[in-house]
Amino acid sequence: MSAQDFLTLNHVSKVYRRNQSLLERLKKTDTGGTKAVSDVSLTVRHGETVGLVGESGCGKSTLARLVSGLMEPTSGEIAFRKDGAGRTPRLQMIFQDPYSSLNGRWTIEDIIAEPIRVHKLRRGRAAIRARVDELLTQVGLSPADAEKYPQEFSGGQRQRICIARALAGEPEFLILDEPTSALDVSVQDQILNLLRDLQKNLALTSLFITHNLSVVRIMADRIGVMYLGELVEEAPSEELFLRPRHPYTRLLIDAAPDMDTSDRSLHPIAGELPNPAFPPSGCRFHTRCPFAKDICRNTAPPQKTAGTGGMFRCHFDLELSNAQAIPPASKARTA
Amino acid sequence: MTPVVNTPSVPAARRSRLSKLLRAMRRAPGPTFCAFIIFALLIYAFVTPLVSLNPFEFSGMSVMDSFIPPMWMADGMPDFPLGTDDQGRNLLTAMAYGMRTSIIVGFLSVIIGLVLGGSLGLIAGFVGGKVDAFIMRVADVQLAYPALLLAMIIDGAARAALGAERSVTTAITIVVLSIGIAFWVQYARTIRSSVMIERDQDYVSAARITGRSNLSIIVLHILPNVMAPVLVIATINLGIAIITEATLSFLGIGIPVTSPSLGTLIRNGNNFLQSGEWWISVWPCLVLVAFVVSVNILGDHLRDVYNPRLRGRS
Amino acid sequence: MTTPLLDVRDLTVTINRDGHLITALDKVSFSVNPGEVLGIVGESGAGKSITGAAIIDLLVPPLKRTGGTITLAGERLDRLSPKAMRSVRGGRIGFIFQDPMTSLNPVISIGRQLCDTIEAHLKIGGEKTKRKALEWIERVGLPNPEVQFRRYPHQLSGGMRQRIVIALALCANPALVIADEPTTALDVSVQAHILQLMRDLHRESRASMMLITHDLGVIAKMADRVAVLYAGRVAEISTVGELFNAPKHPYTRGLIRATPMPSADGEVRLDQIPGAMPGLGAVPPGCAFNPRCFKAEGDCRAAIPPLTTEESAAFSCFHPLERETA
Repeated sequence: MSAQDFLTLNHVSKVYRRNQSLLERLKKTDTGGTKAVSDVSLTVRHGETVGLVGESGCGKSTLARLVSGLMEPTSGEIAFRKDGAGRTPRLQMIFQDPYSSLNGRWTIEDIIAEPIRVHKLRRGRAAIRARVDELLTQVGLSPADAEKYPQEFSGGQRQRICIARALAGEPEFLILDEPTSALDVSVQDQILNLLRDLQKNLALTSLFITHNLSVVRIMADRIGVMYLGELVEEAPSEELFLRPRHPYTRLLIDAAPDMDTSDRSLHPIAGELPNPAFPPSGCRFHTRCPFAKDICRNTAPPQKTAGTGGMFRCHFDLELSNAQAIPPASKARTA
Repeated sequence: MTPVVNTPSVPAARRSRLSKLLRAMRRAPGPTFCAFIIFALLIYAFVTPLVSLNPFEFSGMSVMDSFIPPMWMADGMPDFPLGTDDQGRNLLTAMAYGMRTSIIVGFLSVIIGLVLGGSLGLIAGFVGGKVDAFIMRVADVQLAYPALLLAMIIDGAARAALGAERSVTTAITIVVLSIGIAFWVQYARTIRSSVMIERDQDYVSAARITGRSNLSIIVLHILPNVMAPVLVIATINLGIAIITEATLSFLGIGIPVTSPSLGTLIRNGNNFLQSGEWWISVWPCLVLVAFVVSVNILGDHLRDVYNPRLRGRS
Repeated sequence: MTTPLLDVRDLTVTINRDGHLITALDKVSFSVNPGEVLGIVGESGAGKSITGAAIIDLLVPPLKRTGGTITLAGERLDRLSPKAMRSVRGGRIGFIFQDPMTSLNPVISIGRQLCDTIEAHLKIGGEKTKRKALEWIERVGLPNPEVQFRRYPHQLSGGMRQRIVIALALCANPALVIADEPTTALDVSVQAHILQLMRDLHRESRASMMLITHDLGVIAKMADRVAVLYAGRVAEISTVGELFNAPKHPYTRGLIRATPMPSADGEVRLDQIPGAMPGLGAVPPGCAFNPRCFKAEGDCRAAIPPLTTEESAAFSCFHPLERETA
């Protein structure tokens, strides 16, 4: 671990065991499990925002829960840089659903004050209240909102409260799990702007998880792309968009419809997302990859280093700088 | 987006509790009426013993006045508006004493069931795994027996253990415990299922990441969110507990006939139902029915009001 | 000018909340031409789904249609009896719902559901129905139609279920298809498939389509014309090119700019519209957008701007945006 490295994930895997029936438990049969995260290695440097993108079932949310400590990895190691006193850094997390992430029986003041009280960051009622007011103002709400309950706020306002609560804990590391996916476009825009200001002003180190490539491009310094539990590519944000190295990254960038009305072509990725419980052999993407060869079906691709400090898992060094690199979807319509 | 009404997030002017209550009462006249009946019966049960002699003590009864019918009947006397029983006890005061015992037994047994079932349900739901499996299997086994039968078994066992000589207080304690234990399962199951839902909510995860201990998460976060449905069940169970006590007393295994409860009064009056002195059992029956039905209607109403599914989340 | 297939005039929907009438849809007017895809776009609560549901009379109380006319190929749908409306639904108007899990009956096989719909609306029976159903399973791109015919919804993935929902909506050869957020519940890679399928089928059948979505990217790729809804009112109706390149209503431009898009040069711009859309029953006087609008003046607060038609576009704004010269 170098001095700059804030968080290191070393070959982290997480297997969800299926709930066994009584009979299966008695017979001691191993029913196996779903490998939600498979052998992920990743480093987050101090002051940097790393984004993780992928479709449902790719393991990005599981990874967030592993990093936050809500779950233990099945194997591998997650290490934070410790400070001089050997203390692990303070964490906070912002969740996708602004409705379930606030306790409906607490006032906003109590909700935001909770991390302050737990970490004893301020002492005395007045000092805590002053800090809560300050945080509410910082996230664009009014100190008068402190006495209200979460039910009185809209989704976007609730997400602001969640951000205020996270900031109240004066986190050295912030995990954002789809923080704007439940919000409308104009509200999402406001929240992203708020988060960007905070990134700039507070020099936060963070992990930003989303399924939306455009959002992650705005927010992250480096981006990791996940597919069926594996990290298939990781690169600096601009590099990833300009020169993707993994075919999945290229296809994912093209698949989301942009607002260009002159070119109305659609770019579906062939085939369907396989069931994460039974990932394909070899390269997990081979069932949908336009470049797949025999080797992809049988051998898992090695982890390769790209010139710009990025990483990708593909047998080939493909040139994927522009969308034309992909051969016309051989048979995009059928699964 | 679905064509479902979204409640606008108007920062509602905070109404005072009183005006909120008045508004709720106007919307639900039935439950409000029941609340008044409960209130009146409570006053009756707890004020009467303060101003009159206990008809179950020697000074409170006179055999001379036995079997006097209610005052509006031919042989009625204004001193005994609802008549007297075989021992000459004034039924109006006797019932107040009886109700007082019944209500105390009802409340205490509900509290015992609630505390016992609530804690076990919290532990089962929060810890999960083997602890959960064990607690819930015990609950399943207990559910196989009717609560009344169970109360009788516990009551019988306690009596056998304590021997013959026992005071009225011990008898009441045994009844309270047996009813409480007989009813814990319902609380445990309700709390457990609510806890399992709340446990996985993001606000609990947030508290955990912040560094809260399990105990403070349970007490500060989960408990306030799972109490509403249980309190409603408790209201309904209050009625059931009173009936159970009355049944036990009626069967002669609850509170001894020498001390008053609604059950013992009904049981006593039952002996004279055939011989025409109907009032001895009918009045306590009516009071019991009025109280239990009112409590149930109010409980039902509260369940609707506090049902989170009936309240739009936003 | 062609006669529109569907013409909606002054459609008004109210909500009865404890005796108070709240307007959910306020005099919404638009039309869908034959063979055209009309996109309906807006944020949650703008009234997009209510519009779709109101047209086929599927409003759930306390929502109620209280005014306006709906004309499908010359016939007044708003005057039809519930029974006649039932034959229009699924017959002349097909409906694609957002959630493919709940819009299919989980205990009836895919084949049976298709056959039922085909029999009910096409008045054919027996072997013919089954052949037609198999044909549709193949047309929406599912392999092995005979196998799929016997399967149940839970045995299919989300994308495959949505394909079946599309088959159900189209199998009775409707003149109009209303698709309510057809791809919102799906992953990006699956979404593109479903859009491609809808486009192919639209080209084959020439049925008109109302595409309701909050996703401007989907609109840009699929729609011919677009109606932008805001707080239950039409803010702007325009051709898709005009709308994205020269929006007239400040809200439209705000919405477009707020949508994060990785543009070609990698430059990302986020321009925020302040505030939030007013909730039901909290619409300010005058133009509903005025508290958030940078161009708002006194007249915007005084009166509701009428829908003004100008060339191919219609907008309800007193101070429309000029075409940007840049």
